[in-house]
Amino acid sequence: MCKTQLLHGVKNVSKSAASPGEDPLASSIPDGTAPLESILCTEELQSRASRPRNYEKENQALRTLVCALADSPKTIFQTLAETIKDITQCDSAGLSLLTIDGKTPDIGGQRFYWPAIAGMWSSHVGGGTPRDFGPCGDVLDSNRALLFRHFERRYAYLVPVSPPAEECLLVPFYVKGVAVGTIWAIMHSDRRKFDAEDNCVMSSLAIFSSSAYQAVVSIDDLKSQIKAREEADSRLRELTRVEVGVIIDGLEAQVRTREEFHRVVVETASDAVVSIDHRGDILLANHATTTTFGYEPSELIGRPLTMLMPEYLRNLHEAGLKRYRDTGHRHINWQGTELIGLRKNGEEFPVEVSFGEINNDGQRVFTGFIRDISERKQAEEALRARERDLSLIIETIPGMVWCAAPDGELNYLNQRLLDYTGTSPDAWEQLGWTNFLHPDDAEAAVRAWSHAVATSQSYDNQCRLRRFDGVYRWFRVLGQAALDAEGKVTRWYGLLIDIDDRKNMEEALRNSEMRLSRATRSATVGEFAASIAHEINQPLAAVVTNGHACLRWLSAQPPGLAKAQEAAERIVRDGAEAGEIVRRIRALFKQAPLEKIDLDMNAIIDEVLVLVSGETMRRRVAVETDLDKGLAPVAGDRVQLQQLVFNLVLNGIEAMDSVLDRPKKVFISSRRHSPEAVLVEIRDCGVGLMDPEKVFEAFFTTKENGMGMGLAVCRSIIDAHHGRLWAASDERAGTTFSFTLPPATIRAVS
Amino acid sequence: MKNDSPIVFVVDDDFRVREALTSLISSVGLRVAVFNSATQFLESEKPDAPACLVLDLQLPGTNGLELQRQLVTGDAPPIIFISGHGDIPSSVRAMKAGAVEFLSKPFNDQELLQAIDAAITRDRAARQRRSELAELQRHYDLLTPREREVLPFVVAGCANKVTAAELGTAEITIGVHRGQIMRKMGARSLAELVRMADTLGIPRRPDLSKSRPA
Repeated sequence: MCKTQLLHGVKNVSKSAASPGEDPLASSIPDGTAPLESILCTEELQSRASRPRNYEKENQALRTLVCALADSPKTIFQTLAETIKDITQCDSAGLSLLTIDGKTPDIGGQRFYWPAIAGMWSSHVGGGTPRDFGPCGDVLDSNRALLFRHFERRYAYLVPVSPPAEECLLVPFYVKGVAVGTIWAIMHSDRRKFDAEDNCVMSSLAIFSSSAYQAVVSIDDLKSQIKAREEADSRLRELTRVEVGVIIDGLEAQVRTREEFHRVVVETASDAVVSIDHRGDILLANHATTTTFGYEPSELIGRPLTMLMPEYLRNLHEAGLKRYRDTGHRHINWQGTELIGLRKNGEEFPVEVSFGEINNDGQRVFTGFIRDISERKQAEEALRARERDLSLIIETIPGMVWCAAPDGELNYLNQRLLDYTGTSPDAWEQLGWTNFLHPDDAEAAVRAWSHAVATSQSYDNQCRLRRFDGVYRWFRVLGQAALDAEGKVTRWYGLLIDIDDRKNMEEALRNSEMRLSRATRSATVGEFAASIAHEINQPLAAVVTNGHACLRWLSAQPPGLAKAQEAAERIVRDGAEAGEIVRRIRALFKQAPLEKIDLDMNAIIDEVLVLVSGETMRRRVAVETDLDKGLAPVAGDRVQLQQLVFNLVLNGIEAMDSVLDRPKKVFISSRRHSPEAVLVEIRDCGVGLMDPEKVFEAFFTTKENGMGMGLAVCRSIIDAHHGRLWAASDERAGTTFSFTLPPATIRAVS
Repeated sequence: MKNDSPIVFVVDDDFRVREALTSLISSVGLRVAVFNSATQFLESEKPDAPACLVLDLQLPGTNGLELQRQLVTGDAPPIIFISGHGDIPSSVRAMKAGAVEFLSKPFNDQELLQAIDAAITRDRAARQRRSELAELQRHYDLLTPREREVLPFVVAGCANKVTAAELGTAEITIGVHRGQIMRKMGARSLAELVRMADTLGIPRRPDLSKSRPA
């Protein structure tokens, strides 16, 4: 093993040491070298008797280090080495850092160098060991603290470094998780041995070392940056000297061009451009000033600016200019202010003025750009007038108009619409438009409107709208979307048309049609016959079937006599019922001439009241009468007139079935009517009739069990007696049926 | 009276008609069950016996024609309509929808009883058909999927060899399938098997020679 090789690791031991970064030992380990295990005794740290930990001393040491780091980062590594020596009571202490060039820390380095050493090895500062074959490399490889004993037995290049190391404790440290170096402590004799406590202290110091390392690296970085900048600066200075002249020439040319440019702009501007000095006297005016104001520029220069404004503005201008001169306060906006100008011919016109200030060699110059906006003003005024007209039209036409946003939100209602509903636009907004619709119409209206908004299609709907007094009237509501060029809705315009009268007429027409059709139907003989047939047919069918059954039971072997008798009994029963029905119908529609005799109407009423007394008791109906004693006799058929009164009274009683909140009462009165005729009124206090005219039609019924014949029969009876029958209805007082019968004497005459 | 002796259902809202019909029908030894509405009839439990329904055309709630429409599916009994004043359109509709007879009240006892007799005969036959079909279906359900594939060929009269070629299997296998089919279906002859397949609505395999180029 040659000596140069041995000494290679320690630079300052031999000047012939190889340059850092070139490490022949890294790739080949010499023969006879002691194995790594033989020089390690790390495990012994745990078994050795440990001295007590001196926290105070440790803390103090760290404080010192932190202060040193802040105050003098350049010497921090030396301070660190001395601290290690002091705190572990060792003979030598130092740190090793990876490097490429042998003096600056670099984690990519292939060598360790010693930037600082304290104690007996202090003279070896600047020396170092290879990355891949040395104690520091071993520590980084095993990634933990290692305790070496006579490491020169393996790493022969350390033999010349004196005094020799009895024991060496090495601890790795890291920056951002990458191992960059070690700190170490050496005992050159067996005066004391390192223990677990030393290991702990060293580990703490290793953490600190990381910060120190970063500080030093940053300082080196800064240094190189500063140097680079200084170089750049000096280069720049060199360059500037050459180019300033050129630049100044260029600038002068530019300025000349700009002045020319400005002159061209001002002269060709369509706006009048006028400059004044601080007193308000005109310094300059361009050609457009002539077209705008009628003055030649020569007529203006040296004259006060106020000559271009009407009398009433001059004081204002002068006061404003003075105030600005004195205080810097502007009394008007300098950009786009609308003022009044005065032409040479005395005409006043609206102008828009923008102006600015420049300081020309200590002279204040104000330059204004004045634009004649007469035409624009006229156009604006015309537009406003048109708007006024339109809104006047919309507010006064006899129609209701609304507008809505593209999303369907109502945003305008004309006065007529507000007057109709008796509300303010706020109320519409708060309550929502549907609140003004009839509850039955709201849903359909909302649906139709949502559809229109979603599809941009016209809206056309009919609904009832509540008037200020609560009355609903039918309206046809039309809406049309206004579209922009892209077909997007910009606004909805709408109209409401009152169609209530038309709607009512339609309703009336429909009702009369229904009435007509019912009248037609009741007049159809076949239909009527079918109804009667059904009434009779049921018992008749039973009779026939029972008859057959009876015969069959009788002819059976042996005869089923009991069954036959039952059948026969049913024949009698059902036959009698059929007969009764026939009798009732015949009574109703008897066409035979009436047997008319002179009758006292009061007596007939009394007879009927006896007949219905059972019914009135059962239904708790009170009957009151007011019968005129001096009534003339009428000519009529007793049974039929009884039937007439009976039907009307019973009708009144039944009409009160649903009455619960008041006493049920039927009031019957008779009195003289016209010369000798008799008027009878039968009044109930029921719910009244929807349509008093309908009740006399055959088959019209509001009752569940009625055939709708009763009142029709009444009318046919009264017709046969040449009387008159009518009904009048009142929600509160119920219904009054009235009929008149002519007196017997007149009947006799005719 | 045997449990499966025929029964006549009567639906009429008029109690007089119900009473009379009960008496008449029971006089010829038939069972009678009466109902006053379509709903009552639909909700009641019916005995498993040949039956017919004497139905009034005009019923409150669901009328006779509507009830007929509801009964058209399933194993409903044949219907004889009776009507107080039946119009021609109603009777036409009723008959078109399968009614046995449409009688106007009051009707002749002979007509009604003959109609009832015809209706019960019809229902008995229908029940017979249904039970035969159910029986056949029960047999058919015993067949394996492969046997169901083979069946259309057998009833089409295909030779085992042809069937085997068509289904891609050995002739002898088809022979085994054929035997199994005959056994499971309980058919004593090929002719009987063909009738069964027709009843079940199984299509015969179309003539193979037609679908192949000569």
